[in-house]
Amino acid sequence: MATRYAYSIDLDRCIGCQACTVACKTGNEVSLTDAYISITDIVRGQAPNFWGSFAHHRCFHCNDAPCVTVCPTGTLSKWNGLTIVTPEKCSACGYCTDACPFKVPHIYENHVSKCIACLELVKDGGTPWCATTCPSQAIKFGEREQVLADAHARIAQLKPRYPNVQVYGETQLGGLGLLTILLDKPSAYGLPEDPQMPLTIDVWQRVVQPASIGLTVTAIAVTGLSYIIARRQHVREKMQAHAAPSAEESKDVQSKEKQDNG
Amino acid sequence: MASESIRLVRRYLPTQRLVHWIGVPAFLTLLISGIVLIVPPLALVAAGGTTQLIHRIAVVPFMLLPMLYFVLNRKQAVELLKESFTYTRDDIEWFKRMPAYFLGRTKGLPPQGRINAGQKLHHASTFLMFNTIGASGFVLWFGKGNLGYDGLALAAMIHDLSMLGLTVLMIGHLYFTLVYDALSGMLRGYVTEEYAKMEHPKWLEELPENEIIVKSKT
Repeated sequence: MATRYAYSIDLDRCIGCQACTVACKTGNEVSLTDAYISITDIVRGQAPNFWGSFAHHRCFHCNDAPCVTVCPTGTLSKWNGLTIVTPEKCSACGYCTDACPFKVPHIYENHVSKCIACLELVKDGGTPWCATTCPSQAIKFGEREQVLADAHARIAQLKPRYPNVQVYGETQLGGLGLLTILLDKPSAYGLPEDPQMPLTIDVWQRVVQPASIGLTVTAIAVTGLSYIIARRQHVREKMQAHAAPSAEESKDVQSKEKQDNG
Repeated sequence: MASESIRLVRRYLPTQRLVHWIGVPAFLTLLISGIVLIVPPLALVAAGGTTQLIHRIAVVPFMLLPMLYFVLNRKQAVELLKESFTYTRDDIEWFKRMPAYFLGRTKGLPPQGRINAGQKLHHASTFLMFNTIGASGFVLWFGKGNLGYDGLALAAMIHDLSMLGLTVLMIGHLYFTLVYDALSGMLRGYVTEEYAKMEHPKWLEELPENEIIVKSKT
C-alpha cells in the first residue's frame, strides 16, 4: 500500500515567527506577492487575561478533496495523501477556488496557486521546507499514522492547560493531510467543525456530468438505429406518392381509350 | 427520353442560411471544447487552457447569433419566435403521432404549416436553453472565485444540462433532416415541392405560385 503522508501543526508550539512562510516562498520560488502559507494572530480578551493563538491558512490536503474532484484538467491530483499541483495543466478556470471549503486555492498569474507539498523534495525522501525550517518544531511531516499518533500524544499533554484542545483533520473529508493541534474549538480559528464534500458538487460531478454524456451517447445510438427503419419507411412513402398520381393518370388514359373505342 | 422537371419551393433566404451556417461551426466548436472538460480521459486535451481559449472565442459569434438574425431577417426572426411558442390543436395531435413520424411515417399527420409542431418545440427549447447556457456560462466565466461551492455547482449543472439539451436537439435536428431529405433547404435555400407536400402542406397551400420554381432534373 502506498504511503500516506501528512503534516501536523502544533499551535501550542507555534510562535508565529513566519519562518515557514519565508522558507516556503524561498524554497518553492513563490512570487513575492503570492504565498502558499499565511499566518494570522488570533487574540481574545484583554491583557493580562487574554488568550492568543496563531491560525495557519494553507492547504489541508483533504483526502476527499473537492478541488481535485472539480478540476477539469487534472492540474490538481492526489499523491500519497497529498494534494499536488501540475501547474502547466492549469487553465485558470477557478473551479477549485470556489469548491474548496477552506478557500485555499487561488488564481495567481493565470495559474492555480496553493501548497505544492514540496513534491520534489518529498519524492527524494526529504521534508517540506516549512517543516525543516520551523524553529519551534511546531510543523512536522511524515507518515500520517505516525504524525497522527504524535499529535494524540501532544493532546494528552496539553489537555490540562487547554480543555478544548483537539486534533483537527483526523476524520474530516476522509481525513486531512494537514493535522492541526487546535487549542480551542475549530470555530475559534474560523474553521468549519465538520467540512463535507458539498452535496451539490457531488451531484454535479457524479450524476449530472456522467448522465449528460450517457444521454448524449444514448441519443446518438437511438437515432442511429432508428435511421435505418425511418429511412426505409420514408422512401416507401415517397415511392407510393410517386406511384399514386401515375396510377390515376393511367386510369384516365384507359377510360379515355374506352370512350374513343366506344 | 423527355427530361423530367422538378418543382422547388423556396424555404430559406440566403441571410437565414448565413446565420444558420455561422451557428453550426460555432456550436460544434463550443460543444467539443466544452465536452473535453467533462469526459475524464479527455482532461489531457483540456490541460493548459487552449480549449478554454477556443471556447471563449467561439462563444462570441454564438451569443451574437440571435442579434445577427434579428438584424438581417427581422420579420422572420419575430415570426419564428412567435410561431415557436404558439401551439394549436393540430400540434397536439401531431405530437401524439410523433413516434410514427420519428420512424419515417408522415401519413395520418395533421397538416402542418411552415414549421411543424416538433420544429416549434425544437426552436422554443433551443431559445430557452440558449439563454440558460449563456447565462450560466457568463456566471462561470466572470464569477469565478466568488461563487462558493453551491454557486459553482449550480451554474455548472445548468450549463451541463443545457448543453445536454442542445446537443440532443441538434442530434434530433440532424436526424430528421437526413431522414426526410431536408438538407437542401439549408444548403441551397430550396426544398422539393414533394417534401413540402408531405410535411408542410398548409404552408405550401398558402404560398403564392411564384414562390415555386421549376427546374429540369438533369
